[in-house]
Amino acid sequence: MKTNKFLCELSETLELEEIELNVNTNLKDLEEYDSLSVLSIIAMIDEQLGKRLSGNDFNSITTIKSLMELIGMDSFE
Amino acid sequence: MKSRIKKSEYYLPEKILTNQELEKIFPEWDAEKIEKKVGIRERHLVNENETALDLAFEASKKVLKNYDKNKIDFLLLCTQSTEYYLPSGACILQDKLGLRTNIGAFDYNLGCSGFIYGLAISKSFIKSGIANNVLLITASTYTKHIHPKDKSNKTMFGDGATATIIESSDQESILEFSLGTDGRGYKNLIILNGGLKNRYDVNAKEIDDGSGSIRTANNLFMNGPEIFNFTIEAVPIVINQCLAKNHTTLEEIDYVIFHQANKFIIEYLRKKIKIPKDKFYNYLLHTGNTVSATIPIALKDCVDNRIVKTGDRVLLVGYGVGYSWGATIIII
Repeated sequence: MKTNKFLCELSETLELEEIELNVNTNLKDLEEYDSLSVLSIIAMIDEQLGKRLSGNDFNSITTIKSLMELIGMDSFE
Repeated sequence: MKSRIKKSEYYLPEKILTNQELEKIFPEWDAEKIEKKVGIRERHLVNENETALDLAFEASKKVLKNYDKNKIDFLLLCTQSTEYYLPSGACILQDKLGLRTNIGAFDYNLGCSGFIYGLAISKSFIKSGIANNVLLITASTYTKHIHPKDKSNKTMFGDGATATIIESSDQESILEFSLGTDGRGYKNLIILNGGLKNRYDVNAKEIDDGSGSIRTANNLFMNGPEIFNFTIEAVPIVINQCLAKNHTTLEEIDYVIFHQANKFIIEYLRKKIKIPKDKFYNYLLHTGNTVSATIPIALKDCVDNRIVKTGDRVLLVGYGVGYSWGATIIII
């Protein structure tokens, strides 16, 4: 998946309207990010990339880049 | 002997916790957002002096109304909110309900898969001639174990009890089962303290889980993302196994009822498994996740509101704490 497409998917998943995401955005700084967002992100990654992230993985996630690294950079172009 | 579900009733405690009230406790929570996302507007909670057995008693009285209670020859109580370590709540309930004494009764400890297992036990007891008319009760009061500052669990769970009568019948209306267990996930939905391994600790430390929820080891803990991962993995498989065991396909199933965990999770599973929306139940607006009670509550709603009709083949799927899961097909 192209990084830009992933950012769009993520923005849609988190129902962001005004904020523009980039790979350095810290997810935990977003007002919209909560325990329910984690479920949405897991679902989106399962659906779009066929990968499964563990619940504990999310504790260490900060920026979108760190999320992408956890998924595996081979999933992205 | 063959078996069928004769009727089902449920009872919810009177006290209600709305999303607006949650918003007052947790100002960052948005009442509308909760409803939109997880499909819950309010949930019923027991009072301090009210127990799962009280709810079980009320649900049983409802189902036994206009039914000859002397016909009941087995009582099963599925609960994880037991009155005492011993005796079994089922024994107390036999007496409170005035059921015969020459019947069997016991508790079993399961959560969201509990109703499916109860049907499996009932069916096999009837088939083997051990019983003819089983009273199957599920009763849950998870909210008693939830920390007052635990935003996520307070949002998701509600209390409730159901009572179902399963009778012997000329035609088989409870078909084959597929069951599953994976204890590797036991720590992901657990109350650590209060049993005999770790005693209840009055000085237990409050821990912030980083997403705005606080709890101690005395409270209910749920690793939501891990439980979600488990359902994504287990539910499609158990459905395929159950359909294969019954020599049928999803197309031949008239209606599907999952354990109502929350709207988002079950809608994701529905899409993943490709179940048509008009054949799928997704409704927990006024109850929240009532654990072992969600499937029989849904079933009653479907029958009462003619969402399902006599002769329909309905796929039931339960999954959760343990991990424990199971699926079966019933004929209405």
